Amino acid sequence: MRFATQVTVHVPRQSVWDFLWDVPRLTACVPGCEAVEEIEPNIRYQAVVRDKVGPFSLRVPLAVEVLEATAPVRLRARAQGRDATVQSLVKVELTLVLVETSAQTTTLQIDTDVTVLGKLGTLGHSVMVRRGEAIVAQFASALQAALGQEVP
Amino acid sequence: MLQPFVLEEPTSIHEAVALRARYGATAGLYAGGTELLLTMKEGLLRYERLVNIKLIPELAGLALEDGALHIGAITTHRRLERSPVVRTYFSTMAEMAAHVANVRVREVGTLGGNLCFAEPHADPGTLLLVYDASVALAQQGGTRMLALEQFFVGPFEVALADDEILTAIRVPALPAHTAAAYLKYGLLERPSVGVAVAVTARPDQVQEVRIAVGCVGPTPRRLRDVESLLSQKDLPEVRATLDAAGALAGSAADAVTDLHGSAEYKSYLVGVLLRRAFERAYQQAIGGDTGDAARGSGTA
Repeated sequence: MRFATQVTVHVPRQSVWDFLWDVPRLTACVPGCEAVEEIEPNIRYQAVVRDKVGPFSLRVPLAVEVLEATAPVRLRARAQGRDATVQSLVKVELTLVLVETSAQTTTLQIDTDVTVLGKLGTLGHSVMVRRGEAIVAQFASALQAALGQEVP
Repeated sequence: MLQPFVLEEPTSIHEAVALRARYGATAGLYAGGTELLLTMKEGLLRYERLVNIKLIPELAGLALEDGALHIGAITTHRRLERSPVVRTYFSTMAEMAAHVANVRVREVGTLGGNLCFAEPHADPGTLLLVYDASVALAQQGGTRMLALEQFFVGPFEVALADDEILTAIRVPALPAHTAAAYLKYGLLERPSVGVAVAVTARPDQVQEVRIAVGCVGPTPRRLRDVESLLSQKDLPEVRATLDAAGALAGSAADAVTDLHGSAEYKSYLVGVLLRRAFERAYQQAIGGDTGDAARGSGTA
């Protein structure tokens, strides 16, 4: 499942890049993300993501690895984990591309590729597509709001 | 494997709502169990308690009351399919019920359970929307009626509080010179698209059209913008507008690409089924006075 969106912020590209490495502020933009820990600075992290649809709850401990960091243009990361209750594997590949649209304006392109295997993957595919779209939209909107508070 | 749980077996609505008030979301309601037990066995849902509501006689009624069909929450799809009252006065509902899932599901699955589980790829909710159906929700303080349209909140999510139970579904009779049709299509066990249409018409004159689309979006929904395109028009004008109405319905259906097909494919199917369902309902509407449930009475 691929979800793509983009947001434009009135913040210089370097400031947006710096924000992406401010782990507490960045992860605050990810819906349901908690218990974030740095394992190896700028390379490996771990976190827990929770979500709920109707009576169904999901709690996935994720191992996050930075795959590529080309400052201040492109960041690629992979998060992977397994829900202990339903034994479903969740894998997320996130690519963020920062396009300098002017000296003070940056467009952040967000591309997410989500794979869910196991019972969740077969029982609720259409629901996950919708939740995925909604989560990426919330992430983009939260990023925009957080970056809007940056002083250019 | 099914995890252990405590089984409560109330024999009245009064006892059932007391259990709901006491245990809230930790207690699941168990009727047919066709969806609940499957998801519990898979470990997707866990409840400390199940409240078996099948032993409550008040939830088993199926009768015409003041021109509307009263369906007790634990009425099975099979009973709706076979009931003489439903087959006579709400024949489209009987036909829809006859094609829910498979005969094993229809034999034990209940209408109340189907609506409360709110699995997006289900048939009954979509058709019931064009009947302007409502649901009775009981709690310790009393019972409230809620339009079915407002009952569906999202996928697997309904406006049922943790201390409430759905006791009945009220389905008003269609007006005179009105008929309904429900068509669905799918490649998997559950339908990919379901379209319900109710048409009030005289020969060559369409007075009112009601349209609901299900399975495609997160919940079944009425498409009132599309309805207004087709209502209060001569038949040739309606037929000339059906393609545009189908396209509008397809986009308003809010389809997503998933295992049931691409969003484009499902949107296109909505238009196709809308045209076919309209024709079927129209022909039945002009064939006689089909809104006759108001004249009947009795129980199934």
